[in-house]
Amino acid sequence: MTGFAQGLLDALLQDAHLIVPQLFLITVATLMLWPGDLFVSRAEKHRWAPITLVVLGVTAWLVARVDNGLGFGRMFQMDGLTRGFQLLCILGAAGAVALSQRVLNGLKQQTVEYYALILFSLAGMLFLCGASDLISVYFSLELMAISIYILVAYLRDWKTSVEAGLKYFLLGAFSSGILVYGISLLYGAAGGTTTNLADLGQALALAPKPDSLLVFGGVLMVLVGMAFKVAAVPFHMWSPDAYEGAPTPITAFMATAPKAAALAAFLRVFGTGFHSLFTTWVLPLSYIAAASMILGNVAAVRQVSMKRLLAYSSIAHVGYMLLGVLSADPVAGAQAVWLYMAIYVVMNFGAFAVVIYLQGQGEGERIEDFRGLGRKHPVLGFAMMIFLLSLAGIPPLLGFFGKFYLFKLAIEQGHVTLTVIALLTSAVSAYYYLGVVAQMYFKEPAEGETPALGALPAFIVGVACLLILVGTAFGPWLLDWAGKVALG
Amino acid sequence: MFTANTTLMLVATFLPFLGALVLLLVPKGQRKVFEYGSLAVMIVSFLLSVPFWFGYDRGSAAVQWFQAWTWIPTLGVKFAVGMDGISLLLWLLTTFIGPIAIACSFSSITERHKEYYLWMLVLQTAMLGVFITQDMFLFYLFWEVMLVPMYFLIAIWGGPQKLYAAIKLFLYTLAGSVLMLVAILAIYFLQHKTTGVYDFSLASFQAMAPIIAQQSKTFQILMALAFFIGFAIKVPMFPFHTWLPDAHVQAPTAGSVILAAILLKMGTYGFVRFLLPILPGATKELMPYFLTLTLIGIIYGALVAMIQKDMKKLVAYSSVSHLGMCMLGLFALNPYGIKGGLLQMLNHGISTSGLFLAVGIVYERRHTRMIADFGGLSKSMPVYATIFMIMTMSSLGLPLLNGFIGEGVILMGSFQAFPWAAVVATLGIILGAAYLLWMYQRVMFGPITPVNEKMEDLNLREVLYFAPLVIVAFWIGMYPKPVMDVMDAPVRKLVMQVNPDFYKAESLAAQQAEAARVGMHGMEAPEAPEVQAAPAGMIHGGGH
Repeated sequence: MTGFAQGLLDALLQDAHLIVPQLFLITVATLMLWPGDLFVSRAEKHRWAPITLVVLGVTAWLVARVDNGLGFGRMFQMDGLTRGFQLLCILGAAGAVALSQRVLNGLKQQTVEYYALILFSLAGMLFLCGASDLISVYFSLELMAISIYILVAYLRDWKTSVEAGLKYFLLGAFSSGILVYGISLLYGAAGGTTTNLADLGQALALAPKPDSLLVFGGVLMVLVGMAFKVAAVPFHMWSPDAYEGAPTPITAFMATAPKAAALAAFLRVFGTGFHSLFTTWVLPLSYIAAASMILGNVAAVRQVSMKRLLAYSSIAHVGYMLLGVLSADPVAGAQAVWLYMAIYVVMNFGAFAVVIYLQGQGEGERIEDFRGLGRKHPVLGFAMMIFLLSLAGIPPLLGFFGKFYLFKLAIEQGHVTLTVIALLTSAVSAYYYLGVVAQMYFKEPAEGETPALGALPAFIVGVACLLILVGTAFGPWLLDWAGKVALG
Repeated sequence: MFTANTTLMLVATFLPFLGALVLLLVPKGQRKVFEYGSLAVMIVSFLLSVPFWFGYDRGSAAVQWFQAWTWIPTLGVKFAVGMDGISLLLWLLTTFIGPIAIACSFSSITERHKEYYLWMLVLQTAMLGVFITQDMFLFYLFWEVMLVPMYFLIAIWGGPQKLYAAIKLFLYTLAGSVLMLVAILAIYFLQHKTTGVYDFSLASFQAMAPIIAQQSKTFQILMALAFFIGFAIKVPMFPFHTWLPDAHVQAPTAGSVILAAILLKMGTYGFVRFLLPILPGATKELMPYFLTLTLIGIIYGALVAMIQKDMKKLVAYSSVSHLGMCMLGLFALNPYGIKGGLLQMLNHGISTSGLFLAVGIVYERRHTRMIADFGGLSKSMPVYATIFMIMTMSSLGLPLLNGFIGEGVILMGSFQAFPWAAVVATLGIILGAAYLLWMYQRVMFGPITPVNEKMEDLNLREVLYFAPLVIVAFWIGMYPKPVMDVMDAPVRKLVMQVNPDFYKAESLAAQQAEAARVGMHGMEAPEAPEVQAAPAGMIHGGGH
């Protein structure tokens, strides 16, 4: 018996180097909760934010240092794809922490749990980015999601926040059930021997005819479960409510980091794992992508709340990124999605930083509240305009390059109809993004003094704006470089 | 003295943008600095562009001052610039209109001066960029960038319905150009499939024409339609024209001038540069439909202009009709037609700008543009009435003025290609004379009201910005040869690309004519002798 335990321990230790960043995150987060928090007085809780940022920095450094490899019974794979998306998740978490300061101070809601939960969910994402087995995909998804359910409901005295958390949790649990059911079907269809993605792909491709319905059902259920996690239409219903009810920094977090991780899983599961079943899932996924682009953009037009607008627009952006997943060439698809995601994270954090600045006390705010921003606060207004135009994909801003790269790939892969839909709906998106610009520049500002922008949000706005403008000038090199990074 | 070279071309193109960056540092309140600063930048940019007129080698159809720098190697995108005669003329038109558009804004823009002049300068660079680029990707970039400043110019300094008009302009053109992007990418990949290289350069796209011609008919038609819709929205052709009246009426005067003089030309330029040479087969296939829309546009635009009560709206609809004439010329696919279409693009830029400026003058003084509010202005504003008269005549095509030459050559070309269409188009010209003269009569003659009696005539600044337009209108009207010479070789090349049968038929006819009438040679003789005789003295028919 000891021999078996010893063997297990050896096997784990042998592969532990692959998950050093995750181990570090979990250890630190646990230590922060206990005993770390004992030494921080109630008034000093905001000090956890810089500490968390340092932890995130170290994690990024660790991620960059992990060697490529496959471990834990081929359940976790570290490669270029994993590393690229892991870094995006860390960037998203860091942005969320930096933006949280003002909001949490204002609400007097600073606690260590908030930061620890972000770190736990980040650990889940880092696992998810490299999960190469359906079981590890499921576990990492849950680790990521459960922490986020709590974060959405973090403002527990607020009805909307609790309601959003509960809604998200119920629908999330439901979709997890579907995902697990799909996994079990596939497990059965493959002869009950493996859930490893590569093995499954091979086994299922050879499945005899009577089993093909089983395969189709299983793949479809996995697809539904994952589409729910990235909030693709028609599995998006939770997202506008959750976005609106969550504390705004958490909204920014949800719009970026978990999406990046879930898209990495999407690429891993469908792009490489089920590549042999391409014909099985290409049609349903095409419909999901098209519906996301159309509904996301059209619904965004009618929103009056800025957070809901960004929620619907993020549904649309996911729709665009699914075009990359649909690529028959998984490497090129991963590159394009990664690039788009990276640009999207930057633009989104810039926009959310401005939203948080405007909302002051953390209450939901309307697009109308942007009126006159361009005149009252020219620099901030200009930055917001850059973010919005970039989100709309107006050349020569960075957002255009991301879209161009994706759409180019989609046409190359023969998804012409989808690309036309993507382009036309992105023209629709210009309508609502410009609507906000119109509020900022063509409407008189509201009465009253505006508070100063905090140092960290100002930093985020500045860096994001700079990145977009510089990226605009250096877009070409960025494309080349990104291609190499995502290739690994 | 500056000589025309690539560096100078880039300097003249990007100078407005650099000027905008410098003016960005000037504090807000300095109205005069913005006004005269941006005017100076535009004038310098224009002066820098003048050497290109003289330095252009008229004998060659090649892209001149060409230079390309690697930009995005993995995609095959180059920062490639250069001009042939067609782009040169439109590029010069842009630098020429620039100072005028600034000068007419001094009194009409009364708030947020800094932003206004910055956007004008940025817009200028974007427009100039469209005409010099020799790379599809770069072209698309400039083409889209143009929209943002225009959106702001209309949405901030426009009329009561400005937001609606601005977003309509933005969305219409954006929808068109994304379709164009799909077509560009489709050809790009087709090129990669057949030749194995990724290349966005314009030359390589044009070289794709024979390969595209071997593709399925559906593919060709779809490509042609994608380009067509993208450009037709910009021109605008019926039925894609509905954004134009809104945008024109709501835009500030300078916005209307730029819109009419330059932005609409982007559409026609797109046809000449991309649709015709890249997809000649599909274009000919779809020609009956294109032609029908063009003719509807000519007549419909004129009829709607006739019933307008608002002067600006009248001029806007007249643009729909006049641009229809340009398109008719281009669609004739023979040298006369295309040259006439190109010339008419310039003419429309001159005369319609003049008309919009003229409407702007009375609007600044009375804050109304309703024809019914005016009458007898020729008594109180004689100088204004004279200039307005010249611009009206230029627009309706009176001999000695530029419009006549353009319309005449277009009709010659289109008569060769499809006589019945030329006949219908003539109706448009007659209607054009009717609505313009009727407007002139109602505004300038008749009894004068006390308010109108007190209206001040043009001041020196206003005369100064009308003067160049008047001079050019007369110049092209009386001696169009230099302009025709510039476009001669490129048009010849274009016709070879899109309609090579024309030259085959022509050389056959020429041989027959040679045999019949010894001594008559050197003339580019079309089959119809009556057409050949009339213009030969006045218009240089294209050297060899």
